Amino acid sequence: MRGAGRRLMPLLRPRNLVLASVGALLVAWPYLGADRFVLHVAALTFVWAVVASYWNLTNGFAGITSLGNMGFFAIGAYTSAVLAKELDLTPWATMPVGALATMALVTVLVGLPVLRLRGIYIALLTLAFADALPSVITIFRAWTGGGIGLLGIPELLEDLEKWQAYYFALAFFAVAQAALVLVVRGAPGLAFVALRDSEPFAQALGVDRFKEGLRVFAISAFFTGFAGALYAHLLGQISPAMLGIEQFLMVISMWMLGGAGTLLGPVLGAAIITFGNEYLRVAGSLRLGLLGLAIVITVLFFPGGIMQLVGRARGFLTRPRRGGSDPDTVDGAALPVGSGSETGEGR
Amino acid sequence: MDAFLNSLASGLIVGSLYAIMAMGLTILYGVSHVFNFAHGHVAVVAAYLVWFAAVRLGLALPVGVAAALLVMVVLALATYWGAIRGLLRRSEWGFGTLLFTLGLAILAEYALLELFGPRVKSVPAVLPGSVRLWFGRLALNDLFLITASVVLMVLVGAFLKRTLTGQAMRAVAQSLPGAQVVGIDIDRIYGATFIFAFVMTGLSGVLLGTKTYMTPHIGWEWMIKGFVIVAFGGLGSVPGAIVAAFLLGVVEALVTLYLGAIWIWPAWLVTFIVALWLRPQGILGGRST
Repeated sequence: MRGAGRRLMPLLRPRNLVLASVGALLVAWPYLGADRFVLHVAALTFVWAVVASYWNLTNGFAGITSLGNMGFFAIGAYTSAVLAKELDLTPWATMPVGALATMALVTVLVGLPVLRLRGIYIALLTLAFADALPSVITIFRAWTGGGIGLLGIPELLEDLEKWQAYYFALAFFAVAQAALVLVVRGAPGLAFVALRDSEPFAQALGVDRFKEGLRVFAISAFFTGFAGALYAHLLGQISPAMLGIEQFLMVISMWMLGGAGTLLGPVLGAAIITFGNEYLRVAGSLRLGLLGLAIVITVLFFPGGIMQLVGRARGFLTRPRRGGSDPDTVDGAALPVGSGSETGEGR
Repeated sequence: MDAFLNSLASGLIVGSLYAIMAMGLTILYGVSHVFNFAHGHVAVVAAYLVWFAAVRLGLALPVGVAAALLVMVVLALATYWGAIRGLLRRSEWGFGTLLFTLGLAILAEYALLELFGPRVKSVPAVLPGSVRLWFGRLALNDLFLITASVVLMVLVGAFLKRTLTGQAMRAVAQSLPGAQVVGIDIDRIYGATFIFAFVMTGLSGVLLGTKTYMTPHIGWEWMIKGFVIVAFGGLGSVPGAIVAAFLLGVVEALVTLYLGAIWIWPAWLVTFIVALWLRPQGILGGRST
């Protein structure tokens, strides 16, 4: 425990204090008079926040332009749901199995062929992968229920209450975020920062883009698959609609509007989009238009997303720092989104 | 045997339409390295415009097509000069243009849904009727489609090889700095490429609209098919896209005949993965960037 004091001090920085109080509020929320509907939407928000955060891990941090993460989500959801339903197993056993199956399938079927390629090829193949899944679900309709979907999936507990669902989702969210911080601040995160800054130099130091990419891909698939499994057992029903374009765009805009390449951005984005989507249900197809407009405006005018705006607001509040920026603020100052270096040609 | 020949013919027809469809995408990528995720929607918008002119307004088909292509030119210029040009100057331009065109696609889908409603529509056939061949009947419209596709391919080839703009586009595709050194105005060529791509894609949408049906949502399906073809053939390669389009069209028809339509997507995916394992740069692709 060398330097324990030095390690403890940064924990008391304002940002961490704010995060801690938000965490405490989230834990106390069901006792502060949130109604069942709000708790339900909040539980969904936690699930989507994990999916968005791990999508952002591959795309925003590692520069792997994956577009197939909803496919990972669906594999986890269907594997766990079918196992629990057909073999009469408890969801607590099938959820990890679903997550591991997702990781294995995605790493072998998508990761190995795709990660040797660059940029747009990864985007295309992962998208084609996710798009082929509804057909696969229909082909195995005896187990998956085909296009109608799978109903009557065993829930996490008998007669699952909304507040229980909320706490399960919150716990999963907390674990997933902790794991994400370890990955981003740990060796894989450093490897990708090094690869982004100077690929030849990083390679000379022994950083292997393919190996690191595969590792990040596997971790992302595991947690996304787990989120899918949890989603299935929270709702009790799933359908191939989760692979539809609307859901895909919603999750993509969560991390994009929130701020690609930041830790907090995808979580904020997930909260805004999930709640916005539920409260705008009456608006029907207008939601689609709003989503498109939001994406276009974000890309054109503030590519760093909400976190960029937060950073600017903080710039107004605090004195402008002179000299280099604080190397610790991974969130706040948005990292450049990965695919910038993919062609190597100057523009 | 007749069933086999029949689906082979249908595969070739669909393949020729896919080839036209993929051409705009591959040339746009080859020249500007912008991957247009609104590609399928450009095609659908053009098809809807032609439907509107021909069915609602009762205009002659060529007039409708001309009007739709004019709109495509305007859209292309607005997209390039209004947004893409600025995005290309950023460090993360690749991802920025990807997301921007994705957003544009949703907006187009929403606009079509609001303007024309969700019902299935199709562009009226150019030539009604059919002819008898030894293995079965062939619709005259199908014959028109395959002729039109081949003519378009020849025209595109001539445009790229013979005209100054086409040659400049190829020069930019080969080397951006090289093209600038010899005095090619990059902005003008990118603008021309966008116009070319949008017009070609619009035409392919109109042709596809006579062969199949369309809904405001079908753009995604067309887009993904275009992507697979282009990636399979080699990004930026025109001959590669044509070969890949015919190959996948025939694979699609045979898979439908022997296994059922539900296997089309898995078959496309497997073909795609195998192709990328064997040749990551595509069938005829040269550069890997």
